[in-house]
Amino acid sequence: MSAGSIPAGRVVRDPGFPTERENYLTTSKGAFSWMFTLDHKRIGIMYLVGVSSAFLVAGLLALAIRLHLMAPGGWLFNRPLFTSLTGKDPNDIYNQVFTLHGAIMVFVFIIPSIPAALGNFLVPVMLGAKDVAFPRLNLSSFYLWVFGALFFISALFASGLDTGWTFYTPYSTTTDSSVILATLGAFILGFSSIFTGLNFIVTINTMRPPGMTWFKMPLFLWATYSTSIIQVLATPVLGITLLLLIAERTMHIGIFDPEFNGDPVTYQHFFWFYSHPAVYIMILPAFGIISELMSVHSHKSIFGYRFIAYSSIAIALLGFLVWGHHMFTAGMSSLTTIVFSALTFTVSIPSAIKVFNWLATMYKGSISLTTPMCYAISFIFLFTIGGLTGLFLGTLSTDLHLHDTYFIVAHFHYVMVGGTLVAFLGGVFHWWPKMFGKMYNELGGRVSALLVFIGFNLTFLPQFVLGSRGMPRRYATYDPEFAFLHQMSTYGALLLGIGLFVALIVLLMSFWNGKQAPANPWGGATLEWMCTSPPPFYNFDRAPIVGDPYDFQFIEWDSENERYVTAEPERKLAPEEQPVPVHAKH
Amino acid sequence: MNPNFYESMLPAVPTQFSFLADVNDGFWFPKQASSFAADADWVYMMIMWICVLFFVPMVFCMVYFPWKYLKPKGQKAESNVSHNTPLELAWSILPSFLLVWMFLQGTWSFLDIRTPPDGAYDIGVQAFKWGWTFDYGNGTFHPELHVVNGEPTKISMRSSDVIHSLYVPAFRAKKDVVPGRYNFLWFQPSVPSEKVGETELTAAKAAFEKQGGGKWDYETNQFTPDGFRFYDLYCAEYCGKDHSRMQTVVVVHETQAELDAWIKQYSARDASEAPSVYGEKLYNRRGCASCHSLDGSKRVGPSFQGIYDRKHEFADGTSSDADANYIRESILVPKAKIVAGYAPVMPSYKGQLSDDDIASIIAYLETLSTNKTSSESAPAETTSTN
Repeated sequence: MSAGSIPAGRVVRDPGFPTERENYLTTSKGAFSWMFTLDHKRIGIMYLVGVSSAFLVAGLLALAIRLHLMAPGGWLFNRPLFTSLTGKDPNDIYNQVFTLHGAIMVFVFIIPSIPAALGNFLVPVMLGAKDVAFPRLNLSSFYLWVFGALFFISALFASGLDTGWTFYTPYSTTTDSSVILATLGAFILGFSSIFTGLNFIVTINTMRPPGMTWFKMPLFLWATYSTSIIQVLATPVLGITLLLLIAERTMHIGIFDPEFNGDPVTYQHFFWFYSHPAVYIMILPAFGIISELMSVHSHKSIFGYRFIAYSSIAIALLGFLVWGHHMFTAGMSSLTTIVFSALTFTVSIPSAIKVFNWLATMYKGSISLTTPMCYAISFIFLFTIGGLTGLFLGTLSTDLHLHDTYFIVAHFHYVMVGGTLVAFLGGVFHWWPKMFGKMYNELGGRVSALLVFIGFNLTFLPQFVLGSRGMPRRYATYDPEFAFLHQMSTYGALLLGIGLFVALIVLLMSFWNGKQAPANPWGGATLEWMCTSPPPFYNFDRAPIVGDPYDFQFIEWDSENERYVTAEPERKLAPEEQPVPVHAKH
Repeated sequence: MNPNFYESMLPAVPTQFSFLADVNDGFWFPKQASSFAADADWVYMMIMWICVLFFVPMVFCMVYFPWKYLKPKGQKAESNVSHNTPLELAWSILPSFLLVWMFLQGTWSFLDIRTPPDGAYDIGVQAFKWGWTFDYGNGTFHPELHVVNGEPTKISMRSSDVIHSLYVPAFRAKKDVVPGRYNFLWFQPSVPSEKVGETELTAAKAAFEKQGGGKWDYETNQFTPDGFRFYDLYCAEYCGKDHSRMQTVVVVHETQAELDAWIKQYSARDASEAPSVYGEKLYNRRGCASCHSLDGSKRVGPSFQGIYDRKHEFADGTSSDADANYIRESILVPKAKIVAGYAPVMPSYKGQLSDDDIASIIAYLETLSTNKTSSESAPAETTSTN
C-alpha cells in the first residue's frame, strides 16, 4: 500500500473500496428498496434527483422569460405557437411563466436543495453516525416534498398562476388563477422543510461521536444547524400566512383584502417574516459548503473557525429582524423604516466576516484548482457582488429608487444563483465521488465552472444598470431604450444554460467512463472521507474517534494509488480504534 | 427566425449606446429632474466607491492566491495558522463604521424625501388596473401627471383594486399605492419639460388623425399630444396582465400659469363642443381605452364596437339591451351587471365623472354603433335619455 510519496514510518489507513453488499447503492435492489428506504443516503439521492428536475423545469422557464424579453414588445410568447396554443395574451403567459419560475425555484428547488439533498447525505456521515435521528420522519419529509411539488405542477396545468411567488394580496385574493393549489403546495413544502430541520437539530444535538465537541464540528454542520433553526422557527409563520390567504380567498375573512376591511400591508409583514429568514435558509448551507471546499482544496486549516461558526448563528438570529426592508416603499412609518434599515446593515457584518475568512484560508495554502475549488472561488466573487449590492438596497434613499427594479432582480440572483446554486454545484462536484463512487472528467468540470461564471455575469451585470436606469421588474414589455441591456442579458442566460448543461453531461458521463473513486479523492479530513466511496450502508462499523476536522497534518497523497490516505506515525491503537473483524460486521 | 424578431432587435442596436451619448444621461442613471435626485445619486455613488474599495483587493486575493499558492498534489500548505483574533476583530469592526456612515447618509436624505413641506401643491391620483387618473381639482382629470418646476408637489394616492406603485425614475421617487389607505409621495421637480416645435407637433397630430385616433404613441413621438417632452412614470408593483403597460408621463411646466392654462384646456366640456366629440376625449383620457377596444377585439372588458343598444348576456343568465341607462349604471356601479365571459374588475367612476361627462360618453358610444354617422344629432338624444 505504502508509496513513495508517503513519509517512511507512517501507518497508512485507507478504507479501500466497498463490496457490492456493503455499498449503499447496491446493497438492496428494486424500486421498492428505494421508495421505502429509510437510509438517509438514498433519501438524499432521491432529493438530489428531485430538486435537480425541479431546477431543470424552472431553469427552462427562466430561459423562456429571457427569450421573451429579447424585444421591447416581447418576443417568445408573441409567437403564434404560444398565443394560439394557450389562447392567452402574451402578457398573461409571461406573468404565469415568471411566477412559476420564481415559485418553483424558491419553494421546490433552492430551499430544499442543499439541506435536503446534500445535507441528508452528509450530516450523518460527517457525524460518524449510521443515520439521522428520525429516519421515518426523513422519508416522510421527502414524500411531502413530492406532494408539494405535484401541487405546483398541477397549478401549472390548471389555470396557471400569475401572482408572483410572493402571492401579494389583494391581487392573489382576486385573480382567477390557481392560487389555492399553489399555496397548498407551498404549505406542504413548508412541512417538508420543518421535518428536515427538526431532524437535523436532533441529530446534531444527540448523535455527535466521542470527541466531537461543538467546536470540533465541520462548518457544514454549523451551517446546517443554523439553517435548521430558521426552518423550524420561521416556516410555521409561512404556513399560517398561506392558510389565512386561502381563508381570505374562499371565505373573505377580512384580514388581508381591503374590500373586506383587511390590510394588504399586513400580508406583506406576515409573508416577509418567513420569507426573509428563508433567504438565509437558502444561503447559510451554501456558506457551509464553501467553508469545507475552501479548506479541503487549499489543504489548509480553515481560517477563523469560531468566527465563521458564530457568524452562521448570528445571521440566523439577525435574519429574523430585518424583514421590513422588503417594504420600504409600502408606506410604513418613518421610524419603522429607519429601524429596519439599521438592522439590515447589521446582517452584512457576519456575511463579510465569512468572505474575509475564506480568502484568508487560501493564503499560504497548497491550492488545487479542482472543479469544486473553481466553483468555490466563483461563489466568493459572485456572492460578494450580491452582498455588496445589498448595501444599496438597505440604504433608504437609494432603495426608494431601486426598489422593484431590475437592480433587485440582479441583486437576489447574485445571492441565490451566484451564491446558492454555484455552491450547490460546487458541493455536488465535491461529494459526487463520495455519493456515487465515480470520478468525473476534471477538465469538463472546470470548463462548466468557467461557462457558468461568464454566462451568469453576462446575464445579471447588465440588470444592475437596467435597474438603476429605472427599468421596473416583472415587465412583459419595456421601453426601447432598455433593449440592448436586455438582449445582453438574454445572451448571457443562454451561455449560462450551456454551462449548466455541460456540468450535467460531465457528471452523467462519470457513470459511463468515470474512474472508480477512492475513499478520499481531495484530501479532506472530515469523517465522510474516512469511509469508502460510496459509503457502506451503515456508514461506519462503529462511531469513529474524531479530532480537528481541519487538521491536514497526516493526510498524505499516495501517488502510486492516486488517492489521499491517512498516514499517522506508528502508535498504539486504543481498543475502540481496533479494526472490526469481518465476521462481526453488520 | 421570424423577420419581426430581427426588426425588433436591429433598431435597438443604435439605441444601445444612446444612453452613453446623451449628454443629460449618465451611465448609471436617468436624468436628474428633482431636487433630491442629486442627493440620492450621490449616496449611490458613495456606496459604490466604498464597495469598489473593498471589492478590488478581494478580487486580487481571489486571483493572486490560487495563482501564487497553486501546488502539486500532496504538498503541504506553507502555513497552517488557524486564526488571528486581532486581525479578525479588526476586519469585523472597522467596516462597521462605514456601514454606519452609509446608514446615516441614506436616512438623512430619506427624511427629506419623506417629509413634504407645508403648502405643497396637492394632486390626487387614482391607480387602477391598468392606468392612472390624476385629479387636478374642480372635476378635471387626466392620465398624465402635470406639475410645476420648482414647486413642491404632493401626490395623494389611492388604488381602486390591487397594489400599484408610482415610480418616476427621473425624480428617484417611488411609493406603493395601496388599496384601503392613502399613501403620499412628494417631490420638487427641477428641470422643466421642453416644448417641441410647432411643425413637429402638427406633423405628429396629422399622423395621429390619419391612423384614426386611438392611443397616442408616447414612445415613438417622445412628446405628449400637447407638445411637451416628458419623464416616464411607471407602475413598479406587479398588478397583473398589463402591468408593463401601466405607464404614463410626467410633464414639468415652467410656471404655474402654464400649468393652469393646461388644466383649463382639460376641464369641463366647452359649450361649443359636441358631447360625442368630448366623449371620445374622455374615452382616451379616463382609462376606458386600456380595457375596452374600439375594433371588436376582446380585452379586459367588452369592446365598444357597436355596443350601443346591442343585447348583452350577463354572467347571471339574464340579458339586457345596452341602452343609455345600462351604460350609465355600468359606469357608476360596474359590478351590478357583468357581461358573461368577463371578470368583475372595473372600478366605479361614481363621483369622478359629472352627469355631463357621462352623457358625453353615452353620446360617443352611440356614434360607434351608428357607424359614426350623425355626431351632430347625438347631443339631443342623449340629453333626453338622461
